[in-house]
Amino acid sequence: MFLQQLINGFTLGAVYALIALGYTMVYGILELINFAHGEIYMLGAYITIISLSILTITGLTSKSLILSLLIVLIITTIISGAYGLTMERAAYRPLRHAPRLSPLISAIGVSIFLQNYVMLTQGSADKIFPHILPPGGLSMADVTLTYMQMFIIITSVFLMTALHTFIRKTRLGKAMRATAQDKKMASLVGIDIDTVIMVTFITGSALAAVAGFMVAMYYGLVNFYMGYVAGIKAFTAAVLGGIGNIQGAVFGGFLLGILESLGAAYISSEYKDAFAFIILILILIFKPTGLLGERVPEKV
Amino acid sequence: MRVTKRYFRMKLRYTVLFLSLFILLAAIITGCSKKEDVIKIGVAGPMTGDQSKMGIDMKNGAELAINEWNRKGGVLEKKLKIIVEDDQHDPKQAVSVANKLVNAGTIGIIGHFNSNASIPASATYNKANIPMITPASTNPQLTEQGFTNVFRVCGRDDQQGLVAATFVSEVLKFKRIAVLHDKTTYGQGLADEFVKAINHKADVVYYAGVVQGDKDFRAVLTALKGKRPELLYFGGIYPEGGLIIKQARELGLNIPFMSGDGLIDQKFIEIAGPASEGSYLSFSPDPENIPNAKDFLKSYRSNYGEPGPYSIYAYDAANVLLRSIEAAGSADGAAISKAIHEMKHTGALGELEWDKKGDILHSPYVVWEVKNGKFTEYWKPGETNH
Repeated sequence: MFLQQLINGFTLGAVYALIALGYTMVYGILELINFAHGEIYMLGAYITIISLSILTITGLTSKSLILSLLIVLIITTIISGAYGLTMERAAYRPLRHAPRLSPLISAIGVSIFLQNYVMLTQGSADKIFPHILPPGGLSMADVTLTYMQMFIIITSVFLMTALHTFIRKTRLGKAMRATAQDKKMASLVGIDIDTVIMVTFITGSALAAVAGFMVAMYYGLVNFYMGYVAGIKAFTAAVLGGIGNIQGAVFGGFLLGILESLGAAYISSEYKDAFAFIILILILIFKPTGLLGERVPEKV
Repeated sequence: MRVTKRYFRMKLRYTVLFLSLFILLAAIITGCSKKEDVIKIGVAGPMTGDQSKMGIDMKNGAELAINEWNRKGGVLEKKLKIIVEDDQHDPKQAVSVANKLVNAGTIGIIGHFNSNASIPASATYNKANIPMITPASTNPQLTEQGFTNVFRVCGRDDQQGLVAATFVSEVLKFKRIAVLHDKTTYGQGLADEFVKAINHKADVVYYAGVVQGDKDFRAVLTALKGKRPELLYFGGIYPEGGLIIKQARELGLNIPFMSGDGLIDQKFIEIAGPASEGSYLSFSPDPENIPNAKDFLKSYRSNYGEPGPYSIYAYDAANVLLRSIEAAGSADGAAISKAIHEMKHTGALGELEWDKKGDILHSPYVVWEVKNGKFTEYWKPGETNH
């Protein structure tokens, strides 16, 4: 029973963690809470469903499910990355030297715009993911781990490791770290800040899109306002681990998912959403830098 | 140069003045003529959002009836006009929509859909003395407020809960029941009526609410599974209902599932997929088997396609309203309400009569089952076995 709750929570947490990474990366570099980030996740889920139905019409889905899902995943990542890039160019870059509050409000504006844009173009009713995935999973005694849950956990852990390697080992990753430490200094040593910021937005958006892709398959239900709550929860996860801190976002995501599942099971399922926000308030009061710490000292 | 400029400015000023006067006059004339010519009927329900399908089904049903009356020449020698408003199944929105409809001069309302919208809105209509007929709100509280202008053409959740409880205890003979609800007036109300009715016949081993709009119910389902119930009952609407049964099956919780009229929609089967198979739902009888519904089904299909579960209710509600306006002989709210109370209506649903509260006299509920991806009528109260 408890083990099953852990599995439930771990899957939920994997999704939160993937979205939280985007928040934390953007914050690390721009010190901007990108409130429109949850909307990118929602767009990812929509693009998944749309591109899958296009593939179904061409007949590829019935021939090779895995190949078509792979194509859907690639399309989703690319289009969502493009959305992230456009968002940065249109809504944040013109405000880069404005007071800190301006880009924040711009972010809220982008979020409202994207929600309504999807509602108007796709309709306000739920979109349903076709039941094409083979059901089933591993069962031991009373505990079930479905293939979908396995897929979500493995994919997220893989992506997180890949991101870690990218930031630690590549030249671009080094440039990102340098920009996060000190933007001015980084530009003085020849780092193209604009490119770094663009890469950050594209990477963050692509991760959120993968989360949207997996959630569309996991729940089978997508709507235009799903990005809002997911975004706020991922933001909580990022704050929980220490915003701006990549390991912190991963840790915070998993912790939040597990706490939420255990809270819903053992305290009250009616207050499931409230747990995330109670945690957010407690963290902000008692440890505003998060459990693993904000990366402030490095900036000094 | 200077003279011409001033001349043009003067000319422009007069043109603007003249045009605005003209527009104002035109507005007054059309405004007046509109007020004289038509009788306005309001339709309110969730027209956008996750439950929009229900709202649009409802609108279509009412529109069909109103169009039929208009073809015959309208009511009281006036044409009918339908005004559709969207309450987004939100209580606050429902009240503002109700005020809007009252201000628009409607003389009768078909709606709302959800109980948590109908109840607050009913107070507004009561103040304005406008009759409202809900096609779908089943929460008992709606007609227990003592309003003489509130009616329904559907049943009540205490009747529905009782039928479900009888079915579970006498036909399925289960002893351990788990109950979930979505915390709304309708969902929790129905779940509570079910619990009340089954209380001495079976044990409710688990009872909890979930958040409407949530997508992950695995935590509560896992906790519920540990209590080893024989049946899961859910009070709520199809988006959550579909996900709950789907996730229950994924967790290996293979017990029968039962719910109420909020899940009677093809969308439930679409969301849950194969997991919906074998679900029991309490709802009124299949219109396909009602002889009176033949004409309705035919003209609905030719106008809007396949009817939703509540299209026929909205159609009958609109017919009841229009007949009562005709019987009252005026657009006065109190007279129309009185006419409904005294009326015996033979509509697409069969014979309808109302008690003092505005409820229909006979409980309409039967049990349906999802079979081969379709809803089929399964059991009627009175049958002991199946």
